[in-house]
Parts: sequence; structure tokens; C-alpha cells
Amino acid sequence: MDLSKKLKSLKNVAPDRQWLEGNRELLLAQISNSGAANLPAWKIALINFSSFTKAAARPASAFASFVFLLIMGGVYSNQFFAQAKPNDSLYIARIISEQVRLNTTFNTEARDMLAVRYASEHAKDITSILADPEFNKEENKQRVEELNHSFKEEVETVRSGIGRLAASKSASEAKQPAAQTEDPLDIVIAEGEKNEQGIQVQENNPASEVVAGILATVTPENIIDNEATSSPATTTLETETNSEAEPVVSSEADKILEEATQLFDAKDYEKASDKLKEVDEIIKK
Amino acid sequence: MLRLLDRKMAIKFLKKFKDQQAMRRLKSRDREAFVKVYDENVSEIHRFVYFKVGSREEANDLTSIIFLKAWHHIQNKTLEDSNTLRGLLYKIARTSIIDYYRETGGKKTASLDDETKKIDLIDDTINPQEKIDSADNLELIMKQLPRLKDEYREVIIMRFINDLSLDEIAEISGKKKGNVRVLLHRALTALRELVEESEADKK
Repeated sequence: MDLSKKLKSLKNVAPDRQWLEGNRELLLAQISNSGAANLPAWKIALINFSSFTKAAARPASAFASFVFLLIMGGVYSNQFFAQAKPNDSLYIARIISEQVRLNTTFNTEARDMLAVRYASEHAKDITSILADPEFNKEENKQRVEELNHSFKEEVETVRSGIGRLAASKSASEAKQPAAQTEDPLDIVIAEGEKNEQGIQVQENNPASEVVAGILATVTPENIIDNEATSSPATTTLETETNSEAEPVVSSEADKILEEATQLFDAKDYEKASDKLKEVDEIIKK
Repeated sequence: MLRLLDRKMAIKFLKKFKDQQAMRRLKSRDREAFVKVYDENVSEIHRFVYFKVGSREEANDLTSIIFLKAWHHIQNKTLEDSNTLRGLLYKIARTSIIDYYRETGGKKTASLDDETKKIDLIDDTINPQEKIDSADNLELIMKQLPRLKDEYREVIIMRFINDLSLDEIAEISGKKKGNVRVLLHRALTALRELVEESEADKK
């Protein structure tokens, strides 16, 4: 294998996921102490506007196009430019309208979903252009190379977006069952009275009957068994198993994206496009 | 008007817009923007630090420090001081690594992590065959990378592993684009010689 390819394969060297998440929380706690908070929507819109004028070489025309795009609205301009391919001159308008829409979507999850969808569409458009023998010629070598590079960037965006979506979904799912679970024993402890000997079971209380039933079956042997099965470690393990459901989706998508990249590298653009459609199906789920 | 714009210009404009947007939001102490910047750059910066210092634990600590320093840097300086966010992160990474060398008494780590730790670092999501290939490549190159001169190793990591453009490397290292190109060529030749030497020794 070529040395530069070998070096590129070192891109797979990644930090531990657990460390990444733990470190993110740690840093967030630290920056929160220095006054970090979520910005209101109007302030984000103001920042977007000033960034837009700053990024443009001609602020006056940038201002005019910004207002134009804003008036046209993310939805209409998006639909209008959606057909533009990476090879078209209107493609820039499509990218800008997508960016406008992304930056005016304030729900993080919805924005991630939109970003993944756009990146996947870009990647598919690139494959369809490169599949065209009229375009994929020696004279367009430089543009083909640029598109190859863009394809990899878009795939990487899809991959990281899916990872983020899966992580946020599993985190919210992991929180819900924990909040909903009610242990009958907790109810009795809350409703009953405690003395030095232990729990006093109240009569005519349905929860108390449940506990009474449990207490009747308690022997020294099964106390040990129960301790073993209801230890905090087991609970943690169960929670982890539940929260792994989404990363499975993520790794499935990763696998398909990897296959798509390999097919793309092998110049089998049609199959690469089919693989990207499979990823779309996973995103929709 | 839009027809006249080139695709390259569009990409450049969008990059600049995104950079400006991220830095301005960070400057306004936006928590959400910090999460976004962290998620988008952490793996790349961690990889850069790891290949420079050669130890995972130290790379973890330094990466945390770099993001925190970047946050404080943006709060304390004017935005005109920084060209791009990516460039800023790399510049902070470089100075943090220099500080790290200074604190460890100028000791430059000669080898990357031991065998067991290497495998942990490979992304779990890649397929098994690729994982084996990556492990082999990792072993061969990881042994040779620390033997390279520091500036050679640095440009190789930035260009070939982290996919930075020549312009970006020039901005980060404070060199001219032409000089970066020459440096890269020399670095690659030196690494190739070391790898070939090692493969010949094996035979």
C-alpha cells in the first residue's frame, strides 16, 4: 500500500467514546462557571447576520442577498434550488439556502437531522455527476478530484451527524425509564412508618400487600440472591444495554457508509448511490 | 449574479461564514456553540496531540486543556486576532504541546503507546479486515513516526492524517505555502526511508 494511503488509514485512530462524552460534560461544567449559557434566538440571528456580512467580500451585495434569501424564505428557496447539482452554477445558491435553513433551525436535534439529510443528498448528487461519462473525463480531472474530496467530507458529515443523533436519542431514552420506574417498596417506605426494627406494613394498602408477599418469601439464602440480582451494577448494566440500541443503528449506518465509500473509490457510483439510499432509510427510521 | 460565482468561492465563503459564526457565538459565551465546536474538532485535535506526544493519557489531558484555552482565548482577545477556528485550535495545540515538553523537562516522547493501548485507539465502527490492516499500518508507521524530526512529524500529521490544506498548514506554522510544500516532500521522503529500512530489517 502507498505510504500516503497508509498514513490516511491512521485517521481511524480515535479517542475513546466514553472519554469524549465524559470530557465534554467536564468542559461544559467548567465553561458554565465562566458564564456560558444558551443564547436566545434573536441573538443567534443577529450573529448569523453579522457573520454573513463579515464573510462576504462585498458587504453591500452580501446584505442585499441576505435580505433576499431571508425574504424568499428557507423553504421556498430550498425547493427552488434543490434540483441544482454540484456541477451547476446555481449550486452555490442551494448551499446558501440550506445554510440559511440550518441556521434558522434552533432545535438541535432537528438541525442535526437536516444537516445529515443535506449531506447525504450532496453525496448522492456527487455520485450521479461522476457516473456521467460526459463529465468524468480527463479534461475535468481537477473538478473530479474536488468532487471526490467533497464526497468524503459529506460522508464524514453524515457519519458524525448520525452518531450525534444516536447519542442524543439514547441519552433521552435512558433518562425516561429511570424517571418512570416506581418500586412498590419505595411507595411503602414513603407511605408507611419506619421504626428501629424495620418497616411497618400498613393494612388495607395494595402496595403493602405486595411487600407483605415479598417479605413472606424472604429467606437468608434468597436475600443473598436478591442482592446479587438487584445490585446497582446490574441496574447500570441494564440501562447501558438499553442505551446501546441506538449506537447499533449508528454502527449499521457507519458500515453502510464505509461500503459506499469503498464502492465510490472503486468508481462504482451507482452502487455507492444505492448504499447512500440505504443510509437514508436508516435515518428516516 | 449567482451564476457568476464560482463553486470554489462558494465553499470558501461558507467556510468563512461558519468560522465567523462559531467564533462570534463562542465570544457571546454560547454553550451550544461550544458543544458543536467540540464535537466537530475533538477527534482531529486529539489525534494531532496523540501523534505528537505519543501517549493516550497525556493526549486526553492536553486535548481538554486546548479546548478550555481556546474558549478563554476567544473570550479575552478580539476576533480579528484569529484567522480560522481550526487554525486557532491547532495553534493552541502546538503551544500547549511545547509547554508540555517544557514541563516534562524537554523530554520528547520517543514512542507511542504500548501494544494493548494501540488497539483501543482504533475506531470500533470500522470492519474487522480494515481493523487488522489499520493495526498493521499503525504498528509500522507508529514505530517510525516518533523517529522523524518534530517539524516533519507535525506536517505529516496535519497533511496526511488530518487532511489540512497547504494554506491551513502555512497559517498554523507561520510558514510560506511553498516552504510547507518542500517540508512535506522532505518529511515524506524521510518517513519512506525509515519504513523501508524497517521492512528490510524484518526480512
